[in-house]
Amino acid sequence: MKRLKRNKGLQTYSREHALYLKRCRRKSALVWTFRIGLLVLLLGLWELVAATGVVDPFITSSPSRIAKTIASLYRDGSLFYHVGVTLTETIVGFLIAVGLGTGIALALWWSDTLRKILEPYVVVLNALPKIALGPLIIIWCGTGSKAIVFMTVLVGIIVAILHMLSAFIATDRNKILLLQSMGAKKFQILRKLVIPSSLASFVSMLKVNVGMAWIGSIMGEYIVSKAGLGYLIVYGGQVFKLDLVMSATCILCLLAAAMYFLVALLEKILVKTPES
Amino acid sequence: MKKVILQFRDVTYIYHTARGETTAAEKLSFAVEEGEFIAFIGPSGCGKTTLLSLAAGLLKPSEGAVDSGGVSFGYMLQKDELFPWRTIEKNIFLPLEIKKINTKENRERARSLAAKYGLAEFLQSYPAQLSGGMRQRAALIRTLATDPDVLLLDEPFSALDYQTRLNVTEDVSRIIRTEGKTALLITHDISEAISLADRVIVLSARPARVLASHELDFGTEQNPLKRRELNQFSAWFELLWKELNG
Ligand SMILES: Nc1ncnc2c1ncn2[C@@H]1O[C@H](COP(=O)(O)OP(=O)(O)OP(=O)(O)O)[C@@H](O)[C@H]1O
Ligand SMILES: [Mg+2]
Repeated sequence: MKRLKRNKGLQTYSREHALYLKRCRRKSALVWTFRIGLLVLLLGLWELVAATGVVDPFITSSPSRIAKTIASLYRDGSLFYHVGVTLTETIVGFLIAVGLGTGIALALWWSDTLRKILEPYVVVLNALPKIALGPLIIIWCGTGSKAIVFMTVLVGIIVAILHMLSAFIATDRNKILLLQSMGAKKFQILRKLVIPSSLASFVSMLKVNVGMAWIGSIMGEYIVSKAGLGYLIVYGGQVFKLDLVMSATCILCLLAAAMYFLVALLEKILVKTPES
Repeated sequence: MKKVILQFRDVTYIYHTARGETTAAEKLSFAVEEGEFIAFIGPSGCGKTTLLSLAAGLLKPSEGAVDSGGVSFGYMLQKDELFPWRTIEKNIFLPLEIKKINTKENRERARSLAAKYGLAEFLQSYPAQLSGGMRQRAALIRTLATDPDVLLLDEPFSALDYQTRLNVTEDVSRIIRTEGKTALLITHDISEAISLADRVIVLSARPARVLASHELDFGTEQNPLKRRELNQFSAWFELLWKELNG
């Protein structure tokens, strides 16, 4: 005889399944404990070796010094200023790269001839290290935020184009045939099939491009800027303020992670895979 | 005599690719009468799919002519090709949207067709939630949604396992007969052809030509499973098998 256990008054599970669920929960609690424990351990160790003078905190900084630096940046109001500058550049660059890249990929999907003509250009642009264009960008766009956005777009757009184009091209041929047999025009095939079936790829492209956008904006700030987190890092390095370098890096980590999770959240909303 | 609604006259079709040319059909001639259920059998790669594409007007003959004077077609493929992000209902409405006849009336008609053939409770489900057999039935209802004159069925059962296949075959046969549709069915499977069709056309290896055309003598028996039990069945099987392999 099976002993059944009620769960939330809705579903009944067998005893075995209840045990299985319990094991799952226990495992996930374990993972989280160790994740956070590891972080605390590393920070503690870092603090310890810096405080006892095993390493020179002037070179390695330390968690407490980072916290102090961030606090003082906050007090003189420059924290949000620099974060704001970098965040704006990154997001604007990201949106342009993603939007324009997807648009170009659509055009390339639409016209075989155009795709063939532009293929070598895209390949070369993809292989080119974008940082080589730094001096040109300064001359074209000056040394303000415009140059950094430009760099960000440059880094992200090729990835967006290639990623989306391969998704569009991978559209199921039989489904296209089916639509054609219904008398569908090319635009209808695009709207009813190609775009919806590329949604998952679009989101995975967003995820990749979040990383690309940060590379672009920080790289851009290294080359030209007068403000932003990248600027703080370069400046801190030049004047040997390692606390500043570490602080800016930490903030960058947090921002990049936050943006990634936003996209992951978007994925949950957009890409609904119906359960079987 | 019944009305001829589709006619192939000496149709030749050649595929051109960078690597060369492939003649997929050569001097194909046959006529389809209204309400007829024709099965085409032929070795794989002989040009069967090409034949359907020519019938539907998706391909234009290299030589000869396809006369289909204004009849409309509904295409059904080997796999159901339901769009996974659409509910069954939205999948069934797809051809209405494409043909821009997505009116309340037509949607109602499609819905009642779905209900008539046992899909009512699945209308709001997604394809992944249905069994293979149910999905293929949904694909057929989608094909029927625009009320086409001729159904083109390209091995619609070959992706199913044997048990499901027998059931779906009976299902589809019943629906097509009830709706009084003209149908061209392509299949590898000789027994499937015999159990479903009024007429079987045997095609040669590539390029496809008509080797033989047989009017089947099952009278009014249209149930595929019952046909399989009749004496003529094995006789037809033997004959067609010889023609295909001889
Ligand atoms: N788009 C195409 N371009 C070039 N050759 C093609 C194309 N489509 C089909 N062919 C060739 O034409 C021939 C007939 O193809 P078709 O798909 O009509 O055969 P089939 O009888 O349906 O095959 P199967 O039994 O595999 O379904 C094959 O040799 C195939 O390689
Ligand atoms: Mg085929």
